Amino acid sequence: MSNRFYRNKWLPLWLASPQLVVLFFFFYLPVFLAFFWSFHLERPFGGGSQFVGWQNFERVLSDPEFWTSLWRTLTYMVVASSTSIICALVLALAADRGIRMSPLARNVLIWPKAVAAASIGVIFLFIFNPFMGILAPLNEMFPGFWNPRINPVHTWIMIYIANIWSAIPFTFIILLTGLQSIPDTLHKAAAIDGAGPWRRLFDIQLPLLTPQLFIVVVLEIADSLSGSFALIDTMSQGGPGGATNLLVYKIYVDGFKAYDLSGAATQTAMLMIVVAAVTAFQYLVVEKRVKYER
Amino acid sequence: MSAQSHAAGIHLTDLQKTYNKTPVIPGLTAELAAGEFTVILGPSGCGKSTLLNMIAGLEKVSGGKIMIGSREVQNIAPKDRGLAMVFQNYALYPHMSVADNIGYALKVAGVPKDERTSRIQTAANVVNLGDYLDRRPSELSGGQRQRVAIARAIVREPQVLLFDEPLSNLDAKLRHDMRMELSSLHRRIGATSVFVTHDQVEAMTLADRILILNHGRIQQFDTPHNIYHKPANTFVAGFIGSPPMNLIEAQASNGAVSVGGVRLAATEISGDVTVGIRPEHIKVTESGIPVHVAYREDLGSHSTMVVEMENGQTLRLATQLGEPIRGGEWVHITIPEDKLHFFNAATGDALRSN
Repeated sequence: MSNRFYRNKWLPLWLASPQLVVLFFFFYLPVFLAFFWSFHLERPFGGGSQFVGWQNFERVLSDPEFWTSLWRTLTYMVVASSTSIICALVLALAADRGIRMSPLARNVLIWPKAVAAASIGVIFLFIFNPFMGILAPLNEMFPGFWNPRINPVHTWIMIYIANIWSAIPFTFIILLTGLQSIPDTLHKAAAIDGAGPWRRLFDIQLPLLTPQLFIVVVLEIADSLSGSFALIDTMSQGGPGGATNLLVYKIYVDGFKAYDLSGAATQTAMLMIVVAAVTAFQYLVVEKRVKYER
Repeated sequence: MSAQSHAAGIHLTDLQKTYNKTPVIPGLTAELAAGEFTVILGPSGCGKSTLLNMIAGLEKVSGGKIMIGSREVQNIAPKDRGLAMVFQNYALYPHMSVADNIGYALKVAGVPKDERTSRIQTAANVVNLGDYLDRRPSELSGGQRQRVAIARAIVREPQVLLFDEPLSNLDAKLRHDMRMELSSLHRRIGATSVFVTHDQVEAMTLADRILILNHGRIQQFDTPHNIYHKPANTFVAGFIGSPPMNLIEAQASNGAVSVGGVRLAATEISGDVTVGIRPEHIKVTESGIPVHVAYREDLGSHSTMVVEMENGQTLRLATQLGEPIRGGEWVHITIPEDKLHFFNAATGDALRSN
């Protein structure tokens, strides 16, 4: 921060303090506590903690349920972020092309952004209810055709659809903005150069959209690791039979239902390390292929 | 690269363009000869870019016919029309190298890599960019970028080259250099060229023929010499020349045309008439029409003045340097009769041009 602009040394800090206070209490302090607790044995109802070294980690890492849940989480990360980004990209391309009704679609598509993930979960749970939802008539014709309460594949389909629906608005707007910042004359030049719409998509639009694609991938991946909680909690509670028990939900159950605070904190620390590693990989490796030139 | 044999003429027949029921080009017929350099000139909003885009196939035609060579093209895709285009903002692909930019059309067309490389090199050499093939557009200056755009256009050896105000983003000196380069480039490759601009200097210097457009209608389509010396109407007369031609509302009677009682010339016509006289043809003389110098600008090579006659009529005039005249002075001017242009006062069409 240049002191030439701010004569007073403390003024910049003073101006930034509201943000810093919020960040400290809601981000740095919890992160610190998670790591602190992961090296201590915590009493569930408070009252002191006992340093236990790596024992919590040994316990968590030797639990097969942790590894299953971590693997499930990584699968969810890949599938959830790619499906939601691809859907948003298709919609953004359609809106950018100026297809009929696209001004209306552009407006309507932003609405889900205003709905909390938990509400989305409840709504989709109702929509996909095997007895009352949209697929209920099929269940009457073919009994057992659709039941997300007992069939894990159906449960996942339901969760992915809810996730795509909730992720589209933000991703769509970012991608549409990126597409619209590509000058119209580039399309014209490419059209005269002989490139049809598909060729232009791969040669012109997607390469020039990489800055926006990169940022939505980073955000969607981070969101899929932690933001899936509300959907799981409202739609499946980790079921059926633990099939949708993602790490973020397992942490909640272990900590607040089973009162294993240390185990939950240790898994939280592990999850944070995974998020940090994935994000670092994206910035260090993937970003090299982003084309920022304009 | 000799594209002389490729050059194809362009025939526009009753070409129309309508946006939301508003006619932009109500119906335009023109014949652009093979190998000719045509400049479409007009004020902004006159439809000149629309016309170019319709020839290119970037805008749908509302009616009429476009022939390139012997082919009717108004309903076929831009890429199949055998033309290339240079855009005002260069429209280079920012994520591709100069070589890839130039060669993109060849790549799309499936030209083998070896042939592609040599044709890219040839085109880049034509515009003196042979050493810049690995650069990105963002590493080039405005003039170099425009040359890349020109190389990209000529690499396909098109029958027709279209230019959409390609020099307006360049500074004055660069514009002058690029004008010379474009002119010699056209002589070398010989493709039929259509060049859209609002800059009359570009039009006068580059064109074999200038097509002057206003409100989507052709005002005059002629050589630069004739456009300047024989303007077809008051629009052309007032649009070409800097400062533009003086257009004076005058009255003709008893064999003479006069303005506010001052006799200008002998004439056979009678009634209201618009008289045109170019500023550089008005001479400051010892005796003649007395005028008051209202405003004077010294431009080094010449100076321009706005003068006011006793009856209130103002005139623009340009003099060679060396006239020791100051603003506010009274001087005498002579308007040579043989330099006058006469236009119909109601329609603006030329009556008799000397």
